[in-house]
Amino acid sequence: MADNINFKQYWKKQIIETPTPEELIKKANKFKRKIRFRLIVANIVLLISCMGISFVWFYYQPEYLTTKIGIIVIIIAILIYLAFQVTLTSLLFKRNYEVNAKDQLLQLLKLKEKQRFQRTTLLNGYFFLLSLGLGLYMYEYAVRMTLTWAIVTYGIVLFMIALNAFYFRPKTIKKQQAQLNKLIAQLKDLKDQLNH
Amino acid sequence: MTFEEIYKVYWPKVYRQCMGYMNDPDTAKDIAQDTFIKVWQHLPKFRNESSIGTWIFRISVNSCLRQIGKDNKMPKSELPNEIFEEILVNDEPKVEFLYRCISELPEVERIIISLELEELKQKEIAKIVGLSESNVRVRIHRIKEKLTKKFQQHGR
Repeated sequence: MADNINFKQYWKKQIIETPTPEELIKKANKFKRKIRFRLIVANIVLLISCMGISFVWFYYQPEYLTTKIGIIVIIIAILIYLAFQVTLTSLLFKRNYEVNAKDQLLQLLKLKEKQRFQRTTLLNGYFFLLSLGLGLYMYEYAVRMTLTWAIVTYGIVLFMIALNAFYFRPKTIKKQQAQLNKLIAQLKDLKDQLNH
Repeated sequence: MTFEEIYKVYWPKVYRQCMGYMNDPDTAKDIAQDTFIKVWQHLPKFRNESSIGTWIFRISVNSCLRQIGKDNKMPKSELPNEIFEEILVNDEPKVEFLYRCISELPEVERIIISLELEELKQKEIAKIVGLSESNVRVRIHRIKEKLTKKFQQHGR
């Protein structure tokens, strides 16, 4: 009964749009450049901030230990973030496109679950270190100010940190989590389809 | 085989497979392009461990599956629009109906039936999807039954 209808005959009649291979290669190169450019820009921005902070150390020669610790903490935060970025991108690029669908799904699921875990933990750590570093770094300069100015300066910084910690950070994490959770659920559903 | 030769032979096959999965010409074109970009990049590394067809379909099936997470990350087709300005409508309603029915199946079934209709051997389909050959055979039978029922209900 199932073979009564010749599906193949209809299947083959689909209209095909075929771009020329030259266009495809052009697009491939453009796409590759775009991704590479985006990665480089993101990393350069972070590296420049690292250099800017180090410059303060060498140029102004801070006297307090707190300032130096602050600078180191900020740089460590940025470097950890960068290192994570690099490993994640290499993971994304190294992915094997030629495995079968089942293995590919398992790989993808593993990657996404790892990403979900790391995104929260890493992002929390990054914000914490950055705030801590900034607080320490500012101390030397705040001491030299009049009390009012010191309070105003710390007040503003604390406000920024609080804004980050209680508004932007949860928002970013929540958004990413929602996306990842949805994706992981879909991937699990696909995996189930292959297991039955 | 050079890339151009491969492209000429396999573009229609891959495009149809993607159409079966998405039932949307623009997205199908995007995924097919994505597939061939990978084929182009990895062709120098291709060893004849499997047939070139199996290799290409593995890439295209994986590209389809990865579509889930890419809804907004994938650049929409960046090819100039004027090339495809003429509206391509299939004047064969049964063709359209078949593709619609297939796109309504669960993802894995869409892939299996597309490869079957592309006349791949069940052994190859099993290799591409990662299931046993007997499992693939049973599934193809079931999917065809489903499709037949839909066609009959549709009164054609």
